[in-house]
Amino acid sequence: MMKIFKNKLRFLAGVVVMLTFSLNVLAQNTVYVIKGKVSDATGGVPGATIKIDGTSFGTITNAEGDYSLNANLAAGSYKITASSIGYANVSQALVLGNQSNITQNITVKDDVMNLDEVVVTGSTLKTSRRELGNAISSVSAEQLQKAGTNNLLGALQGKVPGAQITQNSGDPAGGITIRLRGVKSLQGASDPLYVIDGVILNNNSTNVAQTALSNQVGSAVIGTNRLADINPNDIETINIINGAAAAAQYGSRAANGVVLITTKRGKSGVPKVTFSTSVSSSELRKKVFISTLGKQFGFPALRLHTIGAISSAQIAANPGTTVTGIVRDGTTTNLANNLVDVTRYDYQDNIFRTALGSDNALSISGGTDRTQYYASLSYAKNEGIVKNVDFQRYGLRARIDQRLLSWAKLSIGLSYVNSISNEKANGNVFYSPINSINIGNNIYDITQRDADGNLKAVEPTRVNPLTTIEDMKFSNNVNRTTNDIQLNLTPLKGLSIDWILGIDTYSALGRGLIPVYPYQAVAGLPAERYPSGYSSNVNNVVTQYNSDINIAYEKNLTEDIKMSLSGGYNYQFNRSDFSRANGELLAPGIETVSGAATAVTTGYGIDRYNLGGTFGQATFGFKNLAFITGAIRRDRSSKFSPTETNQTYPKVSASFVPSDLGFWKNGKFNDAFGGLKLRFSWGQAGNLAGIGSFDRFYQFNPTPYLGRITLVPGATFANPNVKPERMTETEGGADFSIMKNRINLTVTAYQQVIKDLVVNRVLASSTGGNSIVNNVGEMTNKGVEIGLNFTPIKTKDFSWDLSVLYNRNRNKITKLGSPTVAIANSAGAPIFLIEGQPASVFYGFPYAKNPDGSYLLTPQNLPQRERGTQTNITDFTILRDDKGQPSFAAGSAFVRTIIGDANPDWTGSLINTLTYKKASFRFMLDAVQGNQVFNADKRTRNNVGIGDIAQKEMTGELPRGYVFSLANVEEYRVDNGSFVKLREIGLTYQLPNIMKGMSNFSVSLSGRNLFSWDKYNGYDPETNAGGNSDLLRGVDFGNVPIPRSYQLQLTASF
Amino acid sequence: MKKYLIYSSLIMTMLVASSCKEEYTNPSSANLEQATGSVNGLIAVANGIQFRYTVGRASPIYALISANGLTTKELTVLNAGNTDEEFLRLGGSNVQGPNSVLSNLWNQSNLVKANAEIILKNAGNVQELGTRSGLIAYASIFKALALGNLATCWEQAPIEVGENAKFSPRADVLKAAIATLESAATTVSANAPSAYFNSFVVTGIDIPNTIQALIARYAIMAGDNDKALAAAARVDLTRRSAFSFDDISRNPIFDNTFGNRNVTEPVNRTFNLSGDLAVNAADKRIAYYFQPAPVPPATSTLNSGRASFFNANNAQIPVYLPGEMSLILAEANARKGNIDAAITELNKVLTKRTDVWLIGADLPAYAGERTAVAVLTEIYRNRCIELYLSGLKLEDSRRFSRPVAGTTATAERTRNFYPYPLSERDNNKANTPADPAI
Repeated sequence: MMKIFKNKLRFLAGVVVMLTFSLNVLAQNTVYVIKGKVSDATGGVPGATIKIDGTSFGTITNAEGDYSLNANLAAGSYKITASSIGYANVSQALVLGNQSNITQNITVKDDVMNLDEVVVTGSTLKTSRRELGNAISSVSAEQLQKAGTNNLLGALQGKVPGAQITQNSGDPAGGITIRLRGVKSLQGASDPLYVIDGVILNNNSTNVAQTALSNQVGSAVIGTNRLADINPNDIETINIINGAAAAAQYGSRAANGVVLITTKRGKSGVPKVTFSTSVSSSELRKKVFISTLGKQFGFPALRLHTIGAISSAQIAANPGTTVTGIVRDGTTTNLANNLVDVTRYDYQDNIFRTALGSDNALSISGGTDRTQYYASLSYAKNEGIVKNVDFQRYGLRARIDQRLLSWAKLSIGLSYVNSISNEKANGNVFYSPINSINIGNNIYDITQRDADGNLKAVEPTRVNPLTTIEDMKFSNNVNRTTNDIQLNLTPLKGLSIDWILGIDTYSALGRGLIPVYPYQAVAGLPAERYPSGYSSNVNNVVTQYNSDINIAYEKNLTEDIKMSLSGGYNYQFNRSDFSRANGELLAPGIETVSGAATAVTTGYGIDRYNLGGTFGQATFGFKNLAFITGAIRRDRSSKFSPTETNQTYPKVSASFVPSDLGFWKNGKFNDAFGGLKLRFSWGQAGNLAGIGSFDRFYQFNPTPYLGRITLVPGATFANPNVKPERMTETEGGADFSIMKNRINLTVTAYQQVIKDLVVNRVLASSTGGNSIVNNVGEMTNKGVEIGLNFTPIKTKDFSWDLSVLYNRNRNKITKLGSPTVAIANSAGAPIFLIEGQPASVFYGFPYAKNPDGSYLLTPQNLPQRERGTQTNITDFTILRDDKGQPSFAAGSAFVRTIIGDANPDWTGSLINTLTYKKASFRFMLDAVQGNQVFNADKRTRNNVGIGDIAQKEMTGELPRGYVFSLANVEEYRVDNGSFVKLREIGLTYQLPNIMKGMSNFSVSLSGRNLFSWDKYNGYDPETNAGGNSDLLRGVDFGNVPIPRSYQLQLTASF
Repeated sequence: MKKYLIYSSLIMTMLVASSCKEEYTNPSSANLEQATGSVNGLIAVANGIQFRYTVGRASPIYALISANGLTTKELTVLNAGNTDEEFLRLGGSNVQGPNSVLSNLWNQSNLVKANAEIILKNAGNVQELGTRSGLIAYASIFKALALGNLATCWEQAPIEVGENAKFSPRADVLKAAIATLESAATTVSANAPSAYFNSFVVTGIDIPNTIQALIARYAIMAGDNDKALAAAARVDLTRRSAFSFDDISRNPIFDNTFGNRNVTEPVNRTFNLSGDLAVNAADKRIAYYFQPAPVPPATSTLNSGRASFFNANNAQIPVYLPGEMSLILAEANARKGNIDAAITELNKVLTKRTDVWLIGADLPAYAGERTAVAVLTEIYRNRCIELYLSGLKLEDSRRFSRPVAGTTATAERTRNFYPYPLSERDNNKANTPADPAI
């Protein structure tokens, strides 16, 4: 591997040397100085890009719109193009002759629908929106910086058409999931491909800090997704390609969409320094109801007083205890119905705090005609609203662009980031801060300490919430460097050759510590809570590199027909080495595994794979009005057998701008309806990273076992014939410009059909295995994305902008291979994949209901589970007895059906911006509607007797036995997850420049997640106990709620 | 200018041609050839089978003892949040195909059976006869245990491993288990397991005695009293045979339930026996099987089941008990009408002061009616006590025709047989039989 890699480098070096020697060929050139001004109707246009077509000479206009460009070119006829966001590109003839000083002024006009904006479509390839057959959305630096968060994905919430971006936890390092057009894979990730300046970024979530709970969380994916290491301040733009049809450049990895991040670069001119600093404060937005009523059923030592069955021995031991028989599911259970006095506490006050944060960034950029540089430093620290939780990140980044020759450019990007998170146990386990207050009676004063200052026990088998805050420590320390070298050659007019070598590598050091509980003798904690203490040390080293070569050639075949060809080769290698040591029974004072006396185990896991592919693409444009593109890509990956791995993916797309036709441009209706672009694309993409690197093998796994060599035969069968999933996407859309470009509307509809869907198919265990990774599935995503930008008022001093997004996606598993696949979890959530249903749904026991939809109550006025006969997986026939109650006759059983769906009906956002002179005010509403959340916490709180229903039973508002009867009704735990949040609100004011040369000095006050309009019973319906799992979605089990936060930011550029 | 084109295409070609097409394997796992191609590989797999059978909440040992204990009312559920255990406690139609305890028991037993077949298929490649014999015996023991579990809990089960496996009546499943063990017994008597094998295999299981003990167990289940008598008589009662555990590979009952008070616990400290089965208060086995009750007003957070084989991470769980052999001899004799011989064997259990597991009822000899019915009732009582939480009671309760739920208010078990797990029903549709009503 490395050898071949070295060879590649050697070739490249050789080529560079060779090209340098051939400099003399170009020595006949003259150095021309081209100057001029780019202006629109109101004056100079700053920041416009000037480029001499077919060469690599270009520059950018200054604040007044003036430019000056030195070009080393042979005499002849050229075209010079000015482009700037918001303006249509203008090309003018440029004749280079004897005169070496040339003045060329350019007048630009508004770009209707930004059709001439050049967007990155992948790697080094760029194209104008006009030519694109598919939607690409862009998010600018400004939009990111006003979001009031220093997490990049968080800052994207509500700004990307077709994306559902969910913050899984309120911890500052809690993980954020982005899904473009729904779930695409059941076995592989649905995470889009992230590319930063051509480097493929690793966004894995690997649990290194909390190995203690790794065997207790089912299929939940715990840990920060590593995009958290990116500092949003360094980003210039983000382009998001939602569809598989879009990116031939990333074919094999593009099935989930691509997020292309472009960082800031230096521009020629005097050094520009930008400094920004902010302070922030976060707090719990909403407390959940915790009963502080001074009563409980039975006797004070009775655990689960609402649901605990009372034995005669307990009655004898606790005089005064009386019982009532509650009939549930045909069985009578004696529950205590007397109340005794207790003192209740709200432990929420003990674990939450007002958290502070700050975010500081300093950058300097500048350069000459030949060399440009950008360098930045940043430091951010955010506290979590749970005490002793924080995340800090510092980093530096540099980019140098160097013109080597008139036709060769070199660009080098370097970055280093250190991210440290101090965490608490994730939800899911009983010793997470939130679960420790939810899963236990609250009649103990948890702040009490013994003579030695140790915390005391609470309910037997439960953890004192303050133990989680004060004593348990989980931390993650990431050192990461992401670097790239790019060579851009333009050896011939119209021809460009680009090579990128990108390396992204990090090590994540995780430490976990659960000290010996001082109160174990009283509490009797079970093994899964590590009563004798636990320590783990983990190192995960990830190395990823990619090498991309792209060749593009542009030529006007005739006056009207332009041809653009591109082709290239991409290679990607990924390796991660995960080593772990953990043990129990810690020596006093020792926090690392070095002090563990028992159960010390170590493990080492290596994951390696590579991907490679070649592509070719041709676009033909007619009169700059109509474009048609065809592409083909061939991919392979080491994850699949040599016989299955080579896959070919075709793609076709077309775009047409009828509003640029003569009759339209000159038509009377042009003012009212000035722009229309139609686009269509069809393409296929594979998911060559869509299975585990070794999933196709039958594996015998080693395990430490009584000091003897041990290999446990795998439960998953080998399948050398498994092949990559293949997605076929059809996308069509239109962009409209109405009322002189005041209203811009973009509409996209798509359909994705994923064939050969890989399913870890359940096997009857009589085969000798439990599952096999197999191409038995099929899934579809269908949806609509609508984006509207509306500027109702735009005057010199005042403007009002509205931007609305609406996304709707319908996911459906059309074939699964087995009727249901359960998704393992620790929340008791009945999450399943079911044929004919979206991935994934809540499938379980519904309420027995009357025809009018109300609950059919038992004779004791209590809700109950439905009974009848199951006619298929999701349907059933209700059976009633002669009293109208659910039948317990032979043939009648508890029935199951779909009781909820974590997928929303639609998501959307509204951004409103008002600008008056130097002040601007904006807010964003972000909505997720029509989804359900499986609220495991709700039942837990009531079962332990501290929830709202428990209190109502104690006060008599609800009959005794209510909580008890709900316990088995899984539908009870399904809550409405719809919400509209005031995601962002901000006020920015441009301060007067206090010193000479200052270009920007502003102060802004922003708020994030200040309000949520929802009907959710817990903290926040935007939550995921499954972390970054694609399938374990919408479960609330001890999750940290997303805080409300405020930020004050000062930015200065000079 | 052409030069550049040529050079550029040259680089391009080189880079594409030199791309890596390497294949990667997992250095942290073994493949089939590595696992079965060497003696040590096969021994490692043998240990792996015992690991699968005994370690973790998904292990057949945990599932069998828990499901049996809950269905036959040995155990109760402390926290109804353990839904599937609670369903088993409630029994009847609460017990359904998706029950995870039962799915684990079914799936892991089937996997153990299949994994044992891997060894049986490949043992022939081992040249050294003693090691080959050890491997065959070890695999046969676990295959038999797996088949025995299936026959204990389900009316029918597949004997063979494969796609669309056919189901056989439980009587045939038991026969297959016995045949496997008998064949292993022949192999072991021809060549005793080698010292090499014994030094590499997990310690705890006494191979020759376990083979005979299991033949006796499954023969009495199958109603073959003569075979049960012969085999039980061959077991050396002074030898222990056990599944071993340590702090890493923990005793699954202690680790998951009896180590604390949150999942299950014995219903009471009297084996939950009453009426004609009530336990004699002087029976020393009470102290053996239960954590002593605290003297009020003291309270204890210790699980009352934290005793016997379930009181520590490293507590051994017996594969069989000497008392089981005596009770098999007693029962087989009683069923054949040899009442005196039956009482002799029964008394060995009643009057035993201790044994290799330190179990001893230390009670007076049997003084009841010398009829088959009366003696069998006493044998059943003693099976309930001596073999408490061994996972045998569901079978015993059926074989001794004790009352089942739905037939009487004093039902002693809440199911006869379990429904077939959904994973089997859904994926082996053609062969999975209908679920029993109860």
